[in-house]
This record gives sequence, C-alpha cells and structure tokens, in this order.
Amino acid sequence: MRKLVLKFGDTVLQEVPAGPKEVSIGRSPNNGLVIDNPAVSHYHARVFHEDGRMMIEDSGSMNGTFVNGQRVKIVTLATGDSIAIGKHTILVQEVLDQVSPSQEAEPKPAAPKINETVMLDTKERRAFLEKVAAVGEASQVAPERLKVATLVVHKGKTDRNEYALTDKLTVIGKSAMATVKLKGWFAPKAAAQINRREDHSYYIGAADRVPSVNGEPIARPVKLSSRDIIAVAGVELEFLYRD
Amino acid sequence: MIKFGARTDTGRVRENNEDCYGAVPEIGLFVLSDGMGGMASGEIASRLAVETILAHCREAQANPSLPLVGERIEGISDASNRLASAIRLANQVIFQAAQKNPLQQGMGATVVAIRFTDQRLSVAHAGDSRAYRLRAGALQQLTEDHSFIAESVRRGFMTQAEAGASKLQNVLLRALGVDSELEAEVAEDVVMEGDTFLLCSDGLTHELSDSQISAVLQHAHDPRKAAGSLVDMANRAGGGDNITVVVVREVAKPSGALAWAGRLIGRS
Repeated sequence: MRKLVLKFGDTVLQEVPAGPKEVSIGRSPNNGLVIDNPAVSHYHARVFHEDGRMMIEDSGSMNGTFVNGQRVKIVTLATGDSIAIGKHTILVQEVLDQVSPSQEAEPKPAAPKINETVMLDTKERRAFLEKVAAVGEASQVAPERLKVATLVVHKGKTDRNEYALTDKLTVIGKSAMATVKLKGWFAPKAAAQINRREDHSYYIGAADRVPSVNGEPIARPVKLSSRDIIAVAGVELEFLYRD
Repeated sequence: MIKFGARTDTGRVRENNEDCYGAVPEIGLFVLSDGMGGMASGEIASRLAVETILAHCREAQANPSLPLVGERIEGISDASNRLASAIRLANQVIFQAAQKNPLQQGMGATVVAIRFTDQRLSVAHAGDSRAYRLRAGALQQLTEDHSFIAESVRRGFMTQAEAGASKLQNVLLRALGVDSELEAEVAEDVVMEGDTFLLCSDGLTHELSDSQISAVLQHAHDPRKAAGSLVDMANRAGGGDNITVVVVREVAKPSGALAWAGRLIGRS
C-alpha cells in the first residue's frame, strides 16, 4: 500500500493514500491532492492503477509533470520515485515508511530545481490580465489614451512650434530621424529622446545631452506629466496632453 | 560600427543548456532566448525561437516586400515592425511544434532581440530575458520583465517588499510557444557612439548586481572579453542557471587606412 507525500522544499504539506481509487492532482479544490500554486494547472495530473501497476498521467498541464527529472506523459510509478509538479515534489512511499534520513540527504540529482522558470497557468494569466485591464480603465491612464501628447516650443530654434507625439520614439535633435528638429550649427544630432511605453506613458531620456525637467537634470528616464517643462540643447518645450 | 561578443554557458547547477543566442551582424540583428520545459524541450524551444527570428529577418532583408506576420504597428519603424513580425512567427512555430509532440507540450521560451538601423535601435522582448544599455557610465535596463511579480509591482498589486518575499519568483506572464498568438513588447531608442548594449538571460541577473555588470562592461573594451568576464563572474557567484550574454558596442568608425585594418580585425 503506497502513499503520495506532497512537499514544498523540505516541508511536508500533505499525505494521501495511493489506493485503488484514482488520485487527481492539481490546483482545483476538487482534486484529491490539491497544490495551490499558479504554476500548477487546475487539473494537472492523475495517479491511478492499471493491471496492478501504479501509473501517473499528465492531464495536459501547462508546465508538465516530471518523474525523477524526466518530463512524462504517462509512466509507471514505483516506491521511491519523485514527482515534480510546478515547484512542488510528490514522493511515492510505502505507508509504513517514515521519510528516512538517507532519502532526505540525497535528493535525486536530476529533479528540476526550485527556481525553474515557468509560465503562469492559463486561467490565472487571463484573470490577471483582466484585472490589469479593469484597473487601467478605472485609472488616469485610460483618459490619457484619448488625448494627444504634444510638445509646445517656448524657447529656441526648431522647425515647428508644436509637435504631436505619434511615434513610440521621438528624437529631439538635428539628425534626419529627429521629429523636433533643432536649428543651429552646434545642435547635436540627437540631444534627447522621448519614449512612449506600453501603458501609454511618456518618458524622457538623455541622448547626447542630459535634459532637465522642470529645472531638474534627469539621472535616468523620467515620466512626463502634462505641463512639464523640458529644457535641452538650448530649447524649452512644454509637454502637454491635448484633446 | 558595431562590434559584438557573446557567450553561453550551462552554469554550475543545471544539467543542460536551454539558452540560445544568434546574430546577423551584417543587418545589426542580435537575439537571445531562454527555453522552458523539461527533457530537451527547452533547448528545442529556444533554438526554434532564435532560428526563426534570424531567418525571417534575413529573408526580409533580401526581399523587403515580404509580408509581415500579423498587423503593422503604427508609430514604429519598418525594422521594429519586422522584429515584431519575426517574434510572432517564432511563437507560431514553437506553439505548433509543441502541439505535435506530446512530450513538448507546454514548451516555451523567452526572447529578447535588438536590431540596429542607422542610429535607431529596435528592442523587442517577451519574458524575463533582458536588454540593457550602458551610456556615459550609467547602466539602464531597456526592457521590463514580463513576470508575474514584476508586473504586479508595476501595477501596484504588490509592494517591492512583498515581491522579494514571494515564492512566485520566475513565473512568467508572456513567453513564446504558450498561446497561439503573442504580442512582443517593442520599443525604440537612439544609438549614440560609445553605447554598449547587453542581452542576457536571467541566469546572469540572478547572480550579479547591476553595478557588477556595469563595472565589467565599462572596463572590458572588447565585447568578447566582456561577455567572457560576465559569464565567469556569474559562475563564480553560483551559476545556478544557464547564463547567456550578448554584448554589442557602437564604436566610432575609424577613417582611411585604419578603417580598412579595423574591418579585417573585426572579422576574426
């Protein structure tokens, strides 16, 4: 008579008998062995008996089921085997076994390490993305999406008075790739750059010169807020959100 | 002019190397990928990622009218769009391979890719492999990790302290091969002479701090030496994961006779 011993690192979390009935393993509370971790699929694997042999089958999980370090779809289990699911381990033991000191001292060398990179399970991922979207709608970010980020020239020689920031990268300088074209013999090819990030925020960063925002030279890329004044290479620009 | 050096290493703990990198320096393209999935499937995923991206960009270079995979993104250059297209394609290739082979089910890979065109840098990534830039002695992380923890902190769902204590380290929200569709995060930057860029898998950043990385990049002028030093240092610090680094430096073009000599040396 065997049992499945669920462990996280060195801690024993649970033991279930691996009797004639199937033991399902996964994140869902409906499982016989529940592992509450986002790297574990809701129905991850099952342990069952067939022709007198104990088997484990992966139920189509995201991050896989590993027995003694090998990823498996379906395989027989024997006493002493180590199953890895997400960052948890399940040991197959005889019911009369204690976890012996020798077993503790020699972990199977091929087992995946605790800090293996894994994907967040699909259901969790979708829930997280929905949460992000919901928060995005409620916050200031959404209204800014409808406005046009603009630079208004207050001082200095440029080719225009106003620039709508429609590109992900806006360069202030003399080069061909500059949007805000600086006039003047000594203007650098690229004085500074403004990046639009995935969340539609705008960050100003140094290129050939270090820009100031509201009088403070920046030490690293700085997020721009409406009405911030940027000074670089002899020009002064106001960052503005227009409707 | 671009000079580069790269190294990949299994590290001191893992049994195999599931990282992969590739470069087409003639078109200014550098790609790094960190595979996930047991047995050899992580290796397969990262290799498919790199090969697919290099092949698609090479093909587009020879045939500029090659259609993009997926929709054109407004507000970024053609080169950036091509990188996004290549990553979408790599995602499809890995996803389909995983569907066909039950042992590869769920295999995936991170990716970080950079492309130099004139003075513009395109950076595209999915996952927690990173791109950094060293400019005027300051190291700047160019990509934000697509990990559950990093994203939670960014959105305010979790504090930095909670993030440090969390057991969910290395859990990703975005990676190649996991869903049938994937959008990489794409950004652009200006390239200045003297800039040094670094692509790396998390095996490097788990062992070394930003200031250690910055010190190596500043003191080793040859990108190949820099790459070697970073890997050696990470191994000495523990080497708990595969370590891969690609170091790219934008150097001044020497003029006249020196330029010719420089091109010969660069090729060796």
